[in-house]
Amino acid sequence: MSSGTVQAAVQEAFRDEWGRVVATLIRRTGDWDLAEECAQEAFTQALISWAKDGVPAKPGAWLTTVAGNRALDRLRRGARGAELLEQIAYDPLRSPGAADQDDEHEPDMIEDDRLRLMFTCCHPALALDARVALTLRTLAGLTTAEIARAFLVPEPTMAKRLVRAKAKIAAAAIPYRVPPPELLPERTPGVLAVLYLLFNEGYSASSGDELIRGALCDEAIRLARLLCLLMPDEPEAVALLALMLLQHSRRDARVDSSGDLITLEDQDRGRWHREDIAEAERLLAGGGPLDGTASLPAAGPLTSSGAIPGTYRLQAEIAVCHVQRETDWERVRDLYALLARLMPSPVVQLNLAVAVAMAGDLDVGLTLVSELAQRGELAGYHLLAATRADLLRRRGDHLQAAAEYQRALALAPSEAERRFLRGRLAQLSG
Amino acid sequence: MNYLLLICTDGVSTPEIAAAMQEHTPKWVDEMDSRGVRLLGNGLQGRDSAKTVRVRDGRTLITDGPFADSKEFIGGLDIIAAESLDEAIEVAAKHPVSWYFSIEVRPFRHEVAVPENWTYEQLRYLMLPCLDGIPEPAAVEERLLGDLRAWAEMVDARGVRIVGAPLAPASTATMVRVRDGETLLSDGPFVETKEYVAGIDILSCETLEEALELAAAHPLSHVHMVEVRPFWGA
Repeated sequence: MSSGTVQAAVQEAFRDEWGRVVATLIRRTGDWDLAEECAQEAFTQALISWAKDGVPAKPGAWLTTVAGNRALDRLRRGARGAELLEQIAYDPLRSPGAADQDDEHEPDMIEDDRLRLMFTCCHPALALDARVALTLRTLAGLTTAEIARAFLVPEPTMAKRLVRAKAKIAAAAIPYRVPPPELLPERTPGVLAVLYLLFNEGYSASSGDELIRGALCDEAIRLARLLCLLMPDEPEAVALLALMLLQHSRRDARVDSSGDLITLEDQDRGRWHREDIAEAERLLAGGGPLDGTASLPAAGPLTSSGAIPGTYRLQAEIAVCHVQRETDWERVRDLYALLARLMPSPVVQLNLAVAVAMAGDLDVGLTLVSELAQRGELAGYHLLAATRADLLRRRGDHLQAAAEYQRALALAPSEAERRFLRGRLAQLSG
Repeated sequence: MNYLLLICTDGVSTPEIAAAMQEHTPKWVDEMDSRGVRLLGNGLQGRDSAKTVRVRDGRTLITDGPFADSKEFIGGLDIIAAESLDEAIEVAAKHPVSWYFSIEVRPFRHEVAVPENWTYEQLRYLMLPCLDGIPEPAAVEERLLGDLRAWAEMVDARGVRIVGAPLAPASTATMVRVRDGETLLSDGPFVETKEYVAGIDILSCETLEEALELAAAHPLSHVHMVEVRPFWGA
């Protein structure tokens, strides 16, 4: 077998199987570092063995067995292994050479391992940055250096963060499990939040290594797909995947050749990835109809009667509106109104104000923006001034708009955004 | 797994809070005792009664107040046995203090030996020896370990130590708060300071003087400090 073919096969297996191999080894040994190291060794071994014997029918099972055997060897050699070995005796690792028939024994167990790993990495007793780093390292198989690059921190800082998180999991006995049903409503949003944070980190092209950031989006989508597969009854997981796909569909259209952001209105729709949009729409349709928002309570108390869609569903539905030929701003407005009630953040309220303005009530929208500005929660946020500038521009109030663009310009955090705002300013005077 | 629940308050109470504590704390104790979760625990006297002991150049320095100057302070503790951090969190979230203030959940390094027939009268003084987490040279660490063993043997020989147990590092702590029925967790100890509580010793000695004397003899008061707190009724 050519070395190129073998390398491609190992690379593919790495993408598909790394998380599974690590997850299963952690369950069996309880040792995160050992699991990672032995998984790494198994992939290295695959390069040699597969070149000689061919790619096994079930690469995942082969890798899990080899990594498991390595772990056994190490435990036998290590002094601290005796106790662990005793535990493992109740959950025996395979005998060598049984690679191809072995995963029939406990397919469900192995399938669940990645979900266990996901919930453990995203445990709320860990700091948020540690949850993100741990998810990328153990589930997605990114190296510490890659994660450090993606988050613009020195590699030793990231390494320390990972060590500290793993030490806490061990010392505080954070359980390696999918939470029991009564805890799921509390814990699942945490997993979704980590995946969405991952995605947004990759999506906000403001800084960092472009390639790595693109990889973050891909990983977030892959993990969201996995979560949908493992938790098919969780509508918010499906909605999150749809939301990511909709945003990701614009990846080639949202930045111009000089790296500047292009607003949705000005994007070349021909460069949108239609297959992502179609998949997202299919996913959302599978979640049952969201009959306009007519049936949803726009005012009055919100009860958890089951009629209320989740926040990812609402955001995904909004994103769907934005990929239509004509944006239905009234629907966007209604969706944001509901979202603002479920998630009363000032940024959501700013978006609601824009939707109100775009749906026809320009003055009402501007008033809402002014009210938000007065409350001061978004002080220093350049998009507040930029939004107000944009609405004033649409109203033909060019003088005031220019003043707001200037204000936004002073607050904008990146050169790309400053270039964009300068462009708007030039249009006003032109 | 054994965990220490550090009951943290800012000492500011309202009639509503006082009423909730009075009603729900005994219920919590009953429930956790009958579940076999709670091994030992009691409230501490207010922060004004705290003393921090340092020994430098052979001189004992005793200052008033807890070692960490923060709004929140330790108002009591419970030692619990739970199968995992999730159970420890559930137990902490049921304690009324977590509804108004917060509870730090910190794992012990290993299982804690709690005497079966302990009584509230025996729980008189709590000692909180502090460390700063900066590794000392191996020789210093080794000497310190030897001194700690010798100190433990000395207090145990006097028969005044009910519990003595080292805690896992502060970085393994989790803060538990319950607000609007939702359990909120955060990573880390209740107060982020250079020094952190490295263990607990619960003493049955009669007088504060004896407790302070034992604190001054504690090896960590020579390198860092030891906080001494009287329990309720001491």
